[in-house]
Amino acid sequence: MIEARQVSVSIGSKRIVSDVDFTVRPGELAAIVGPNGSGKTTFLKALTGELAYAGSVSLNGCNAASLKPWEAAGIRAVLPQSTALSFPFTVREIVKLGVTGGRSGVLRGEDDRLPERALARVDLEGFAGRYYQELSGGEQQRVQLARVLCQVWAPVLDGQARYLFLDEPVSSLDIKHQLIIMNIARDFARRGGGVVAILHDLNLTAMFADQICVMHRGRLAATGSPREVLSDDLIERVFGCRLRVGAVPAANVPFVLPQSAAA
Amino acid sequence: MVDETIAGVAGVNQGGRYISGDRSGRALLVIGALAVALVVTALVSLTWGASDASALGLVGNWLFGAVPGQEALSVRDSIIVYDIRLPRVILGILVGAALAVSGAVMQGLFRNPLADPGLVGVSAGAGLGAVSVIVLGSTFLAPFTALLGSYALSLAAFAGGLITTIILYNVATRQGRTSIATMLLAGIALGAMAIALTGILVYMADDRQLRDLTFWQLGSLAGATWMKIAAAGPIIALALAATPFMAKGLNALALGEATASHLGVPVQRLKYVAIVAVSAAIGASVAVSGGIGFIGIVVPHLLRLAIGPDNRYLLPASALLGACLLLLADAVSRTIVAPAELPIGIVTAAVGGPFFLWILLRKRGVVDL
Repeated sequence: MIEARQVSVSIGSKRIVSDVDFTVRPGELAAIVGPNGSGKTTFLKALTGELAYAGSVSLNGCNAASLKPWEAAGIRAVLPQSTALSFPFTVREIVKLGVTGGRSGVLRGEDDRLPERALARVDLEGFAGRYYQELSGGEQQRVQLARVLCQVWAPVLDGQARYLFLDEPVSSLDIKHQLIIMNIARDFARRGGGVVAILHDLNLTAMFADQICVMHRGRLAATGSPREVLSDDLIERVFGCRLRVGAVPAANVPFVLPQSAAA
Repeated sequence: MVDETIAGVAGVNQGGRYISGDRSGRALLVIGALAVALVVTALVSLTWGASDASALGLVGNWLFGAVPGQEALSVRDSIIVYDIRLPRVILGILVGAALAVSGAVMQGLFRNPLADPGLVGVSAGAGLGAVSVIVLGSTFLAPFTALLGSYALSLAAFAGGLITTIILYNVATRQGRTSIATMLLAGIALGAMAIALTGILVYMADDRQLRDLTFWQLGSLAGATWMKIAAAGPIIALALAATPFMAKGLNALALGEATASHLGVPVQRLKYVAIVAVSAAIGASVAVSGGIGFIGIVVPHLLRLAIGPDNRYLLPASALLGACLLLLADAVSRTIVAPAELPIGIVTAAVGGPFFLWILLRKRGVVDL
């Protein structure tokens, strides 16, 4: 279980995140939504130990601040919003960095083919020999996700749930790959892990999230199931625009929802 | 399977299976080839010189004793090989390996293929230490030189490199995190200050010291002695021995400090160990051989083109290729204007500079600097 209590983050003299309480249980996919600059990424960086914070964060009951990097790496993997790379690594070499910590959770002997399996999961079969820098933005994002999956391949290891922290995992992906990636995240949660994802697409969020945390000006504006949280009032208050939940456009206007995807 | 000619990256055939994008097999082959090349270069260096003393004769003597029908190695030859050429070759191997590996480690640390100990002021700081001893050794620093004798130069250079690095680290580190950009800029500032101070010392120097200084600054392996090896060897060997433990961490660092930490790498400790190892290796090298440029940038760059940027292979391969190239450059420097000697720093810069530019032009677009 991930438990954050009264987490606040200041950068310089500016307070970015104030008093956020947040709980994710194993088996859950929690989405963090909110307008640009509402503190989503900053809060996620506090959860992953990248930024100093006030308050407390615990992972499976251990104080996150006292975990060594290699201990934390065995419990959770983190997908950043973007990753700049300075040397000409191949795709396979990047994905293989995911096993640096050596706690993937696959059987011994199977892990040398893990990069290929992870690439196949993110629909990048056959990309192993390409240079990372030659790929498109969306492909690079999926390579990074494959790397992250390698790190915590088994959602539960030694009886402990493990976690994925995903910062906008689908932001530069086409609709097919958005669905593939969200299904990977949901599958990870179903098999006993926990997922925290920052998302912008409210339809995808409603479709996949067990829990939505809405952030607004550094504070938690609402939290609960999609049905509880997504309301006209909340969307107007937080995003500052009048939208109606569940409204269907006029009959002659085409619209495509991810919910209509064939299983 | 992606067409390899289009992808431009070969994989390896391991145990009969082809793994696309895995360059470890190729890297091991290159390392093996470089090891052989280094042995050959070292033997040739032992043989090549003004005297016709032969390393092969020497090896033959070691293995079989005096071969019947052939004269044993003469006393004069064995002095030339054991006391002049052998220390020079060993020093060349140590310094070449130290320069190339320090370059590779710095580049991994700064996540920039142009980073080099020369760039962040470490070499300049080490140089300041050494120049201080040359110029002030008989006046201000007389007690220091009297106490340490011939070790004074090495230790002063090492101290200069280490002090620069420690100042650099403290300027660039806030709340336990080192900012690479700040470190790079602070390094350039420190380098400029060290060079200014060195300039003042040069201004104060008399004619004889000036000549010493000029030759030392240009870099040379001439005057290699067993004592110099005893002073610099253990420091360089220790620094090089520490690098294999950094390789995995440096690989993860290519994705950024935060991501490396998420992957389980103790980033702060890695940076600390890498900085101390690099300043030790550079300080020791500068002390015994002066300023030898371009090995630290050209060698890792060439090897990245050949075997990729994986530090588990890049670091040992850099050590071997750096040693090889420095021995070759030394061979050129002592034969091109024989019987005089050209400082080796001139050779490495004259060959390395244009070569590096050529690589950049040829590979522009593929290698993102």
